[in-house]
Amino acid sequence: MAKLPTPQELVASRPAFPDEAWLDTKPKFAPGSFCYPAKKETMEIMHMPNPHDWDPAADDWNLPDNWEQILCDAFAERLEKHRSLKLFMDICVRCGACADKCHFFLGTNDPKNMPVLRAELLRSLYRRDHTMLGKILGKKVGARGWDKEVVKELFYYAYQCTECRRCSLFCPYGIDTAEITAIVRELLHEVGLGTHWIMDPVKNCSFTGNHLGIKPHSFVEIVEMLADDCETVTGIRPKTPFNEKGHEILFLTPSGDVFADPGIYTFMGYLLLFHELDLDYTLSTYASEGGNFGSFTTFNMAKKLNAKMYHEAERLGVKWILGGECGHMWRVINQYMDTYNGPSPACMEVPKSPITGTVFENAASTKMVHITEFTADLIRHNKLKLDPSRNDHIITTFHDSCNPARAMGLLEEPRYILKHVCNNFVEMPENTIREQTFCCGAGSGLNTEEIMELRMRSGMPRGNALRYVQQKYGVNHMACVCAIDRATLPPLADYWAPGVTVSGVHELVANALVMKGEAKRTMDLRQEDLPNVEADDAAEQGE
Amino acid sequence: METKKIFEKHKSDILSEWTEAVFSTYPFQTTGFLRTKHDPFTNPVAAMTREAAGILYDALSGDDTDVQTVKQAIERFVKLRAVQEFTPSQGLGVFFLMKPLLRKHILPEMAKGAGDVPACYLELESRVDSLTLLAFDIYTKARETLADIRIKEIRNQYAQLKRWAQQLNESSPLN
Ligand code: SF4
Ligand code: SF4
Repeated sequence: MAKLPTPQELVASRPAFPDEAWLDTKPKFAPGSFCYPAKKETMEIMHMPNPHDWDPAADDWNLPDNWEQILCDAFAERLEKHRSLKLFMDICVRCGACADKCHFFLGTNDPKNMPVLRAELLRSLYRRDHTMLGKILGKKVGARGWDKEVVKELFYYAYQCTECRRCSLFCPYGIDTAEITAIVRELLHEVGLGTHWIMDPVKNCSFTGNHLGIKPHSFVEIVEMLADDCETVTGIRPKTPFNEKGHEILFLTPSGDVFADPGIYTFMGYLLLFHELDLDYTLSTYASEGGNFGSFTTFNMAKKLNAKMYHEAERLGVKWILGGECGHMWRVINQYMDTYNGPSPACMEVPKSPITGTVFENAASTKMVHITEFTADLIRHNKLKLDPSRNDHIITTFHDSCNPARAMGLLEEPRYILKHVCNNFVEMPENTIREQTFCCGAGSGLNTEEIMELRMRSGMPRGNALRYVQQKYGVNHMACVCAIDRATLPPLADYWAPGVTVSGVHELVANALVMKGEAKRTMDLRQEDLPNVEADDAAEQGE
Repeated sequence: METKKIFEKHKSDILSEWTEAVFSTYPFQTTGFLRTKHDPFTNPVAAMTREAAGILYDALSGDDTDVQTVKQAIERFVKLRAVQEFTPSQGLGVFFLMKPLLRKHILPEMAKGAGDVPACYLELESRVDSLTLLAFDIYTKARETLADIRIKEIRNQYAQLKRWAQQLNESSPLN
């Protein structure tokens, strides 16, 4: 008779000492841990190399016949092109300072999710072909050759890294594993391996200007609809200037905030703020996407998608660009835009706030100002009438989105604004915020629903810190300055800290903004009842 | 020795052996990290496990334990196990790993050398079962939440598009 396994056998099934080395343990492609593949047609229409049908769960990924040659050549080319990559391959001393800093590692405890070992997956290949020792001693010095299992492994772990750069903060040499991941993804695209959630927006952005591929007229109509909503709440219908020439400013923001809840409330916040300031600006249907999913595929694609910002600025003849609350958009602008698309068109000038006269010297080169820099400056100069008590039903914390925090150092401005528009602001524990912030777990194109389970693991360190302030200080809201976060944090909060809502900073700004000629506010932008309203009424009647 | 004292005496041994057993469900190379780092935010898996261990043990030793309090306390740990790469039995089975530890440390003292297993010890093991059942509820709920948030996310992504399309439909002359 067969014996039932004991609970110990069922639960603790791994041997005390594994019989294979970590590098030889291969990942299992279980549903929920990998993204769906990009469609062949999408790859074709975007002129990506070697488009083909494939399934991550299948044994055979239908790689092109000469896949190994393609990958070796592509890798050699990247090493030639990016000196940083060569440096990152050479100088890691395996000190382990980065090992426990990755949220994927913390959530999965998978050794290959330690940044040092994630990089080692590529470094081992580098050793064989590009170092003398590796060529001679091979495996003894941690070198290995390419095979199809290695390709799968690279795919698995390159899409379990959100390119958040938390690890690089702790590396004594400043090795940026995010850049290594970006290169691995680039290499994989060379043999036709991409993900649907990234390539589809790339295609849509290329053809229609925004992630969902909504045609310009429909895009405008949706924005009009949001302006109507603004009127319902405030009694004022903000203007929605589109594609108008001769304005001072072009406003650019991720399109997710036009289509998705709760991002739309942040967008409505922009409309109301600009209306109140009577800002000389225009929106664009061509450059209707600040985000850049191309940056999750290849440098060339990122460059191509980003180019429309300056094209449109030039066509419309604006002086500078104001950019909305987005994460990776600002990484691209701050770190790559000059190299990609610079210099900026001749018509553009160093941004200067028309309201306060502040010159944004930090944006002298790109001519692009982050909206929280702009608004913080307005508040600093007392240009906005604010009633923070309208946000009294909220005890908010602030999530530093990886890219604004670590790729552009935007730490104070959003906090400064929040403290002026809300009476209750609480920080999460200090080793989880600012430069050390934990990723939402789904950046860099991993914000797709098929890997929700993986996202709940990788987002756990963030969710855990949020839950802590929820229980300790009654926090019921989390503000952020990233459109991907506005999409990914609500499910994360629903799982790890149910009851916490998520919004952009400018939703709270518009709630607190006292506008000239506005109707008495009884609801917030979400059309939910404002606090203190009845008390006010009673007071008025009593007078 | 009275029960309370027995439990106090063995607390630290059982807690550390149980957390050790839970850590051993993770890959070999990373248990060292789980064991040695104590910050609740930068080593959350270990913190959740240790928290659960303490609560679990207290709930096992005391008879009037409030169900709601216990549930709340082990929730974070169970939710974690529910989204990690474990089968459901591996996710929840860790609670049963308490039993061999109780048999090793507590049973001999409760039995006081007598051959029989005393009723009070059998009750104790039943409490492990009850706690596991409570955890089962939390686990199932967590998996349901996971399914719900996937659907909700898809809906949210297209929320305005849907509203816009509905408006078009309403204003259509064919209506
Ligand atoms: S960049 Fe972020 S996700 Fe990638 S390895 Fe480093 S810490 Fe992990
Ligand atoms: S911290 Fe830097 S040098 Fe140390 S192991 Fe990590 S990548 Fe290598």
